[in-house]
Amino acid sequence: MATQYFKTVEHTSTNEKKSFKLKKPNYQLKFTLDGHTRAISAVKFNPKGNWLASSSDDKEIKIWEVYSGTYMKTLTDHNLGISDIAWSSDSELLVSASDDKTLKIWNVGAGKCTTTLTGHTDFVFCCNFSPQSDIIYSGSFDENVRIWNVKTGGCLRCLSTHSAPVTAVHTNQNGSLLVSGSYDGLCRIWDTVSCQYIKTFMSDNCPPVSFVKFSPNGENILTATMDNTLNLWDLKKEKCLKKYIGHKNEKYCIFADFSDTDPKLIVSGSEDNLVYVWNLETEEIVQKLQGHTDIAISTACNPKLKIIASAALEKDKTIKLWEK
Amino acid sequence: MSHRGGERDFQTSARRMGTSLLFQLSVHERELDLVFLDHSYAKPWSAHPDASSARPTRMLFVTPRRHQDSTIEADIPIDVETVTSTPVPLYDNQKARSVMNECERHVIFARTDADAPPPPEDWEEHVNRTGWTIAQNKLFNKILKALQSDRLARLANEGACNEPVLRRIAVDKCARRVRQALASVSWDIKLVQWLHTTLVETLSLPMLAAYLDALQTLKGKIPTLIDRMLMSSTTKTGAAGAEALSLLLKRPWDPAVGVLSHNKPSKLPGSPLILIASSGPSSSMFPTSRRHRFWQSQLSCLGKVIPIATHLLNNGSGVGVLQCLEHMIGAVRGKVLEIHNHFPHKPIILIGWNTGALVACHVSVMEYVTAVVCLGFPLLTVDGPRGDVDDPLLDMKTPVLFVIGQNSLQCHTEAMEDFREKIRADNSMVVVGGADDNLRISKAKKKSEGLTQSMVDRCVQDEIADFLTGVLTRAEGHSGSEPRDQDAEKKKKPRDSARRDLAFELPERGSRPTSPAAKLPASPSGSEDLSSVSSSPTSSPKTKMATVTSVQKSSQIGTAQLLKRHVQRTEAVLTHKQAQVPISSDQTEEADKEDLRGQLKRQHPPSPPPGSKSSKRAKIKVTIVSHGDGASGPSLPSQGGTTEGGKPITVTRGQAAVGAKELTGLLTTANTAPSAFHTLQSRLVASGGHCVAASPGSTLPGSTSASSLLQGLSFSLQDISSKTPTLPASASPGPATQASSVKLPTPMQGLGAITTGTGTIVRTIPVATTLSSLGATPGGKPTAIHQLLTNGGLAKLASSLPGLAQISNQAAGLKAPTTITVTLRGQPSRVTTLSPMGTGAASLEESTSQALPSTPQRLPPAP
Repeated sequence: MATQYFKTVEHTSTNEKKSFKLKKPNYQLKFTLDGHTRAISAVKFNPKGNWLASSSDDKEIKIWEVYSGTYMKTLTDHNLGISDIAWSSDSELLVSASDDKTLKIWNVGAGKCTTTLTGHTDFVFCCNFSPQSDIIYSGSFDENVRIWNVKTGGCLRCLSTHSAPVTAVHTNQNGSLLVSGSYDGLCRIWDTVSCQYIKTFMSDNCPPVSFVKFSPNGENILTATMDNTLNLWDLKKEKCLKKYIGHKNEKYCIFADFSDTDPKLIVSGSEDNLVYVWNLETEEIVQKLQGHTDIAISTACNPKLKIIASAALEKDKTIKLWEK
Repeated sequence: MSHRGGERDFQTSARRMGTSLLFQLSVHERELDLVFLDHSYAKPWSAHPDASSARPTRMLFVTPRRHQDSTIEADIPIDVETVTSTPVPLYDNQKARSVMNECERHVIFARTDADAPPPPEDWEEHVNRTGWTIAQNKLFNKILKALQSDRLARLANEGACNEPVLRRIAVDKCARRVRQALASVSWDIKLVQWLHTTLVETLSLPMLAAYLDALQTLKGKIPTLIDRMLMSSTTKTGAAGAEALSLLLKRPWDPAVGVLSHNKPSKLPGSPLILIASSGPSSSMFPTSRRHRFWQSQLSCLGKVIPIATHLLNNGSGVGVLQCLEHMIGAVRGKVLEIHNHFPHKPIILIGWNTGALVACHVSVMEYVTAVVCLGFPLLTVDGPRGDVDDPLLDMKTPVLFVIGQNSLQCHTEAMEDFREKIRADNSMVVVGGADDNLRISKAKKKSEGLTQSMVDRCVQDEIADFLTGVLTRAEGHSGSEPRDQDAEKKKKPRDSARRDLAFELPERGSRPTSPAAKLPASPSGSEDLSSVSSSPTSSPKTKMATVTSVQKSSQIGTAQLLKRHVQRTEAVLTHKQAQVPISSDQTEEADKEDLRGQLKRQHPPSPPPGSKSSKRAKIKVTIVSHGDGASGPSLPSQGGTTEGGKPITVTRGQAAVGAKELTGLLTTANTAPSAFHTLQSRLVASGGHCVAASPGSTLPGSTSASSLLQGLSFSLQDISSKTPTLPASASPGPATQASSVKLPTPMQGLGAITTGTGTIVRTIPVATTLSSLGATPGGKPTAIHQLLTNGGLAKLASSLPGLAQISNQAAGLKAPTTITVTLRGQPSRVTTLSPMGTGAASLEESTSQALPSTPQRLPPAP
């Protein structure tokens, strides 16, 4: 998996024994899901919120039941490690982006790969469905974003304006806009119909963008940059509204997510093995989830329940579910 | 104009359009109207002390500028959850989606070999390109690329709330690219036909549907080229397939089709003639643009459209721009004059695009037209904006509507507002958001607001109709303050509106006494009635007889309907008197008569048609509706036996002279109340003589007989016509004006009415002078009616009415109408008084009925 690509400098987290006062929300560890044999790259809840999918460097995708924390099934077909996965809106399909330069569409119920999307010339690093789930967007180390027709498996379009690996792709809630982030430090907003880019966001000094995501209503985007910062941007005004700092993020593409609990939270992993939880409005850290023994690369918030899932790299290999 | 009128217009327009779905389209941009509805005392926000004639600008789809307040923002919590509600599509979404997928549903028709299994989804890999030339490969790839991006657009748009509009935009784009590709090979017939056949054979069904969509769009734009392209395949598929395909490709689908077809625009009142001034010299080489043709057909929903084409002399060689412009103006002017001659009673509306708008404005300065509509006004010139002190456009008096695009290059809103302040004519402006000079909105606008050009066009058309309705019915705004019964209005629309529009012309005419030939000759009632009966405004008038045959009781249902609102207001009983002049006519066509009778029957349901027995007789109907006190109406002293209890005055040809004599005898009475006559006269002439509403008639005890009024009328007409040159153009309000009561909106209007009277008189000269000999001896001949008839100038009726011609043989060649309706209206309380106040001027419904101050003295003494 591609995250390994950056493991040239092995990072050992400084053990922060700093005691801090836990404010609300008080997330507690609920389950630890053990099963993957290599580093986990991504965890995603399905839109219904009852399943969790995890992808790993061990070329497998595992599906877990959320309420009981039980393992359900494994999807295997990729030749190399998987960097990202995404659910379709009806929770029936999964798409996975692999280092074998392909994407695969999986029928979760049947547990089989239905279509293989070929075209990228390097590791496929990120992928996402459109809200209607008839299009898949993918980003790759070949610096292109590709648009795929789910039905036919054909590549509809290739967007190549980034000058570095594409680290994240995501569409807004109605599918009219696409955001892509890249190591070149740019966040581009695309019109999904005309495939023209509309806007470009960048932070000062252009730190590499490791993750981007639209807010649930599509009016803001959350970007993670490799200068230990998360930024919340206003899409219309094109300006940075909030800045979330305190965690450590310099080498890995660490996922972040919105949590629609009250108060609204931002959740992200960190290279110090903790999972950080910020108050969206006040920018202050409201909780740090301790438990992983390696970098918490991926976090996800359950769309229905107050559950956070987090997954860690090679030395840990576990998924942890945190419940409020 | 007064603000009162403005409010009324707002209200009526809101009432009229409130039901329309399209009104809701831009309703959030029309907050102004809502203010007016709730606070009718409010002045328009843009009310300008110097520009009372400029009505507030109406914005169509103009996105309001929102000011961002950065100070407040910090306090607002960031909302990352709530999805801003997207506006509901303004069209019938279900229907739009259904037409949108038309091609997908019928894609099978296009397939040449319907039995063979459709190509698989991954057809691209299976396309056998062996034997293809470079050109074929190139073309195929281009088309493929276009179709693929269309595919992507379809997928990306799927599920969007305004998907049909987005799809339409995508299809248009795809069609454009396909067209470009085909044009790149110069529509080489072999190549293009090969392409079509290959595509139909190889494309997967969804792609083929996209291709058909593109073809459908192009078919509307370049039908011959597409037909040529499809020729080869139609020979293969056979007739049925070809027919189905051609049906499918008949016209491009439109998301708003349901809304537009359900809300058809209604005809304008008064059946106006719409003249379209061309924006440049036309030639067979460069036909008018499709957009202009489209608008021409759109406008024909409002009224009869007459496009005016200007042809270049010598194929344009050696013709300068100035000459060309003069030529264009001349052509339009000539047409206006021609139409005035042929349809004197019809309101004329000039419409023009861009330069044509300018031509229309200039013509309106020279000739009398009812209204001007400028679509895309070229305000900006190389010398700066128009409206300099010496600009002839500033002299415009005709109500004018400017429709401009927000992004127009030839004008911008601020400069237009400045210009509008300067022109004295009553003017309105509509700004179409995001539109260009030709009022086409941009793709971005369509996308962001979920609009289509057809919706915008319809809204513009609604605005035009709204404005024109306001102009054509303006008189109504002056007359009644109470809201009228809508039902009654609907029933009597043709008649009522005809009266209204003519009455409205008054202020216009009065102020332009310079070119008498251009003036609109007044027409007596009959013409108007008949034209409203006749199906087409331009249909050549046939022999039409008013076999109005009702035995009238004291009140008539038909007339009551006609005057329903007045009845409701004054609660007076109508007195309906009719004078019928039967004329034997051998050329009467039964069918015609039956048809007409049917019409009349509907108007007078309860009255049996006794006249129907005499099928060989055409009659001139003179209907005098006196609308006075219920008690006094029937019991009014009848003069010369002409009116007895409201019975119709039926004067046969032989009796006509006698009747006329009797009538003339009444002139004495008339003389005692000159103002009444003049009121009547001016109104009769001004309002085209149909349904003349003259209130004082019934208030004069001595002249209650309608016929006497008629007679007096004719006299005063004659008298005035012989003395017109001496009439002051702007007569100061005379003795009668003291009677002008609060009901008259402003003194200015009274004055306008007076000058109007002058104007109309001037107009009648050509007709009246030929009768001067008759006029000198009115007693012996049926001049009263005759003159009234001839004066009307109902163009072609008389020529086809031999009987009538017989009667009017003294004035050979002059035309006569068949029906004259004079409506007399009075206030019940003043019926018996003869005081100056009691002459009824105060009760006049319309300001125009103010008396001419100077003419009474000029009335000839009664014989």
